Amino acid sequence: MATAAMTVRGVAFIRNMSASFHCRFQALIGRCPQQLSCLHTSALLESKTWERRNLKVFPPQKPDEALRPAEIHLSRRQIKYSKDKMWYLAKMIRGLSIDQAVAQLEFNDKKGAKIMKEVLLEAQDKAVKHHHVEFKSNLYVAESFSGKGRYLKRLRYHGRGMCGVMDKVYCHYFVKLVEGPPPRTEERTGLDEARDYVQKLRDRTIIHSL
Amino acid sequence: MNAEASLDLRHPVPLSIPVRTKKRYFIPPAVGMKSKMEENIEAKIRAAGVVVKQEYMERPINISCTAGVYDAYIPPEGDARLSTLSKEGLKQRTEQIRQSAASQLAIRKIKGHDSLFKTKEFAEQAQEIFIEAHNALTQFNKAKLHSLVTERCYPEMTRGNRYKTIHWRFIESLEPPKVVQARCPDMVSKDNLYGQVTVRMHSKQTLAIYDRFGRLMLGCEEHPKDVLEYLVFERHLVNPYGCWRLHGKIVPSWAPAKDPVIKTVMIPGPKLRPEDELDAVNLQVPKPAAVQWYK
Repeated sequence: MATAAMTVRGVAFIRNMSASFHCRFQALIGRCPQQLSCLHTSALLESKTWERRNLKVFPPQKPDEALRPAEIHLSRRQIKYSKDKMWYLAKMIRGLSIDQAVAQLEFNDKKGAKIMKEVLLEAQDKAVKHHHVEFKSNLYVAESFSGKGRYLKRLRYHGRGMCGVMDKVYCHYFVKLVEGPPPRTEERTGLDEARDYVQKLRDRTIIHSL
Repeated sequence: MNAEASLDLRHPVPLSIPVRTKKRYFIPPAVGMKSKMEENIEAKIRAAGVVVKQEYMERPINISCTAGVYDAYIPPEGDARLSTLSKEGLKQRTEQIRQSAASQLAIRKIKGHDSLFKTKEFAEQAQEIFIEAHNALTQFNKAKLHSLVTERCYPEMTRGNRYKTIHWRFIESLEPPKVVQARCPDMVSKDNLYGQVTVRMHSKQTLAIYDRFGRLMLGCEEHPKDVLEYLVFERHLVNPYGCWRLHGKIVPSWAPAKDPVIKTVMIPGPKLRPEDELDAVNLQVPKPAAVQWYK
């Protein structure tokens, strides 16, 4: 292979990466965790906090209390899609009822929309079967966001024998469905804003006055 | 090695001087890894001295309890439902366990292994075991539950209950518990005896099940219900440390339907072709056949 010149910044970056790769390779061989010297092996995929929220048990409610709405947390990990592109879809369906969200995603042309629709339908199914939700349409998307997954690194060949590191991006998608009709945000008109402004002006006091 | 060979006068080997050995390029390790992954991993593990535990592809078999209820007791129809004055009521009052020969034989076999066995005392003991087992279920005390309930009955009692809250109370017993049947099945070999005794219990109980969010799923906390149950207790007779544990329940075919859950449930309708319409007027929801089943 021809000698490739790299920038100083690239070399430092590569040195860091090779150290972390060495750790990951040892983890791949199957050494027990106590023998690993470096502590920075990825513990992100072992800690599934989002799924653990489904295991929380609330104490029984008294008959006069208002019924607590059911919450279902679901996630899909290592989707082959960019987290930034996924964010647009996640932001689109926030606050919609599940039927509306599924309808919007069905007719969206993005690759992430198909995956998100599968996740939503799976969450709806789990809600009815395992989490004692009565009506499958009585759910709305309370939280929905995307996160960065574990990337794979590859070489990208540039001209003149130069190369750079290419990231094969993966993302996670998290969704929380809550039972009930979707919350209605009150629409503020210009008149409301004006009224509030005038009230603020009237509420001003003069300090240290006689 | 190379240095000695090159200094040798008789058979000189040209000295090899390493040139351009400094690595100046970078390849992420994954690029060449696809070809290398398959052969080297096991060798590397052995070289590192890590011993991998032998994984046996076996299915564990439990021999401390049988797999079901053998020769299940068929409760007479109208048990605890007819008034004392009718003829059938009198017949049932007089029917005792002595009529059944197979049960007597089984009891004799049980007494052969466990000399302190007495039918009347056993019935009381059985009720206590039942109450303790259900109390352990409400607290979800796994260790205690395993000691009071056989391995076959445990998953049936606890399936789906992990993330639910159960409030169960035994208020009183309306009739004294009675042993109605005993059998001694054997597993694999003739001497490996298990004793199965069916006990009839009529009692008042309260049951309320709350789901994960604390909402009432089934039952009522305040109103107790009269419950007529046929419980099967089992013990591994050959084992000197065996004890009587709850093995299952027999639900007769004439049992009244249970209370519905506090939830609307969808029942799948008939399969229609694209051109057909659903005939809502003549639609009949199929009812399950009234068969005795033991749980």
